[in-house]
Amino acid sequence: MTVFKAFWKILNKNKFIIIMYTAFLIGFGGFNMQTSENTTSYVATKPDILIVNYDEEKGITKDLIRYISDNSNIVDIADNEEARNDALFYRDVNYIIYIPENYNNDFMDGKNPKIDIKSTGDYQSSFAEMLVTRYVKVANIYQRMVKDEDELINKINDTLSKETEVEITSKLDTNGLSKAAFYYNFASYSILAALVYVIALILSSFKNKNIHKRTTVSKTHYRTINRQLLLSNCILSIILWLFYVVLSFILIGKVMFSTQGLMYLLNSFVFTMCATTMALLIGNLVTNKDAINGIVNVVALGSSFLCGAFVPMEWLPDSVLKIAHLLPTYYYISTNETLKTLEEFNFETLKPIITNMAIILGFAVLFMILSNVVSKKKRKIA
Amino acid sequence: MFRHNFKYALKTLFRNKTLIFWTFAFPIILGTFFNMAFSNIESSEKLSIIDIAIIENDEFKNNEIFKSVFENLSDENNKDRLFSTTYTSEDEAKQLLENKDIIGYLKIENNNPKVVFTTNGIDQTIFKYVTEEVTQTSEIIKNLSEEKIKQAISSGNFNVNYEEIYNRIVELTQNQDVELNNISNKKISYTMIEFYTLIAMACLYGGILGVVAINQNLANMSSKGKRVSVAPTSKIKVIVSSVLASYITQLIGIAILFVYTIFVLKVDYGDNLGLIICLAMAGSLAGLSMGTFVGTVFKANENAKTGIIISVTMLGCFLSGMMGITMKYIVDKNMPIINKLNPASMITDGFYSLYYYDTLDRYIFNIVSLLVFAFILITISYISIRRQKYDSI
Repeated sequence: MTVFKAFWKILNKNKFIIIMYTAFLIGFGGFNMQTSENTTSYVATKPDILIVNYDEEKGITKDLIRYISDNSNIVDIADNEEARNDALFYRDVNYIIYIPENYNNDFMDGKNPKIDIKSTGDYQSSFAEMLVTRYVKVANIYQRMVKDEDELINKINDTLSKETEVEITSKLDTNGLSKAAFYYNFASYSILAALVYVIALILSSFKNKNIHKRTTVSKTHYRTINRQLLLSNCILSIILWLFYVVLSFILIGKVMFSTQGLMYLLNSFVFTMCATTMALLIGNLVTNKDAINGIVNVVALGSSFLCGAFVPMEWLPDSVLKIAHLLPTYYYISTNETLKTLEEFNFETLKPIITNMAIILGFAVLFMILSNVVSKKKRKIA
Repeated sequence: MFRHNFKYALKTLFRNKTLIFWTFAFPIILGTFFNMAFSNIESSEKLSIIDIAIIENDEFKNNEIFKSVFENLSDENNKDRLFSTTYTSEDEAKQLLENKDIIGYLKIENNNPKVVFTTNGIDQTIFKYVTEEVTQTSEIIKNLSEEKIKQAISSGNFNVNYEEIYNRIVELTQNQDVELNNISNKKISYTMIEFYTLIAMACLYGGILGVVAINQNLANMSSKGKRVSVAPTSKIKVIVSSVLASYITQLIGIAILFVYTIFVLKVDYGDNLGLIICLAMAGSLAGLSMGTFVGTVFKANENAKTGIIISVTMLGCFLSGMMGITMKYIVDKNMPIINKLNPASMITDGFYSLYYYDTLDRYIFNIVSLLVFAFILITISYISIRRQKYDSI
């Protein structure tokens, strides 16, 4: 048990690493989970709009502001141009509307006054533009016929209030499931980084020249030593996995108690096992403690960026996704993404998920074989 | 002596592989990852063609306005094209919806349009909005035609040309130009911030070089330091030459990073090369001053000192938006004082102001802040290192 005990002693010295990656997970996983309203009825997406009104708030001006406010989130920004520009750049607002001075009067005179706008050019801003254009168009048409301000506003609102009936077919809690997917996608980074770092560090401590000589001459068979190391590694991985699962129940809540939730657990378990074997391989390959830090960062950040743990997969360029196929994280994250919208569970729908898991396990076997080959080669020291 | 020590300090720094990895290679690797992951974000946020279906029943076939509007908005030659429309039966539309080939479908029944989606979203909102627009336009045409006809009849004209009135109003609804004047800055690519924080990180990581260089001259840190301390040379010469060597090393690293980000990753730093170089040099100086400060003021081993630099740098980069661009904005908006003291944010904000703003006041404010930051830390380092004596080590 000496080896087993030594393992946990070294781990205890390096617990800061695990705490740090867990803090990342809670920080980023939790950061995205603040909005928790779930709906299976229709809710319009509202762009974030800022209205800068240089006109008096009356008549058409007032009504235009009311219409935009009803259909968007009005954002409050400090009253200077630099703050507005910053807000636009950082997408705090998608669209800024500058209502010019004397807009109401000019409009009533039929001058069709020009409106200045600023736009981020994304789909939210395109929708915001549709809102403004729509209102002004309808107002312009009625303005030709109706001269009385109140009647005009009534007519405009009457027309704009005509809505289309909507039906939402899905009964899935897509909101909760996306949160779960986000959490578990990010967890791939924490699991991979924490496990590889810690396991490689501990293994490298055992590979220290003097310690290695001491264990080699001891009466304990090297197989027993390796078995104890493997056992402790597996226990560590399972504890870490359980810990992240419990965290997910706390952070995400009731969605985790569904079949999809169970699949998230299973998938992350398979991935954790694969990460453990990868850690063993890296721990066997690299013995320089300084180098481990660099390798962990490159491996963990690399797989997370390329496979969509940080940036959603659908936003990654195709060429990047092609490279990502070479990494186990890709299969783990694609399962998470599939689960997000999976409604029926049968062999046909589960097939891609099972394939993904089989591939991850295949990677695990490959890493196992490689690390055995490496460790056998490195056993003899001069 | 100055030149001699400078030369060897430079050599030792360049031969330290771990150091060179973190200050030279790591920012480049991270930048490559950023580029791979973020290169598509902004274009995928642009409105793209939305896949929809329309149930082709008799009612739709007879509804001229709906038909022509969707035909027009699905026309491949229309530059404002919004939709790619499949005209089909209801069963097939349901199937398409289930396979996620379309985001929703439209069905007109009893003169009442209805849209069906699986989930909520911006595409769905736009689709619904367009169908409403069509309904509203028909409503306008109906209202106005009735009014016109009423007017004509009440003015005694019984020979009303219904067709002409109708056509005139349709024309009126179609020829409405809304004049929106887009005055926003064309350079609005927010993922650039990621690369600016990367430069900030590289500048501040340079502090590690400063720590290592200083440590080699401190008697309580290394045997080489003991040797240097007993040598009959001016300490200031030795320290300044070591620090200068680490500054030069750092600038070489930053220069490589700039070349890589500009020519390979196509990062846009604005047009003024001179100002960009000034900012990078001021930023590196701030990193260096952090290194000398940590190296001289803290009494800890080299690993702990590098640990402090890395943690401070990462925290600074986090607050200036490296792990989520909005973080910088949130801090700037709610607690501006934090980012006014954060060197990573000064560097990031400096590049941002060069890229996004035409005026230079914000840039100059950032440069001055960096210089003040560096000056204060270097002064403290100087005070703490001078006249050091050891009774025992």
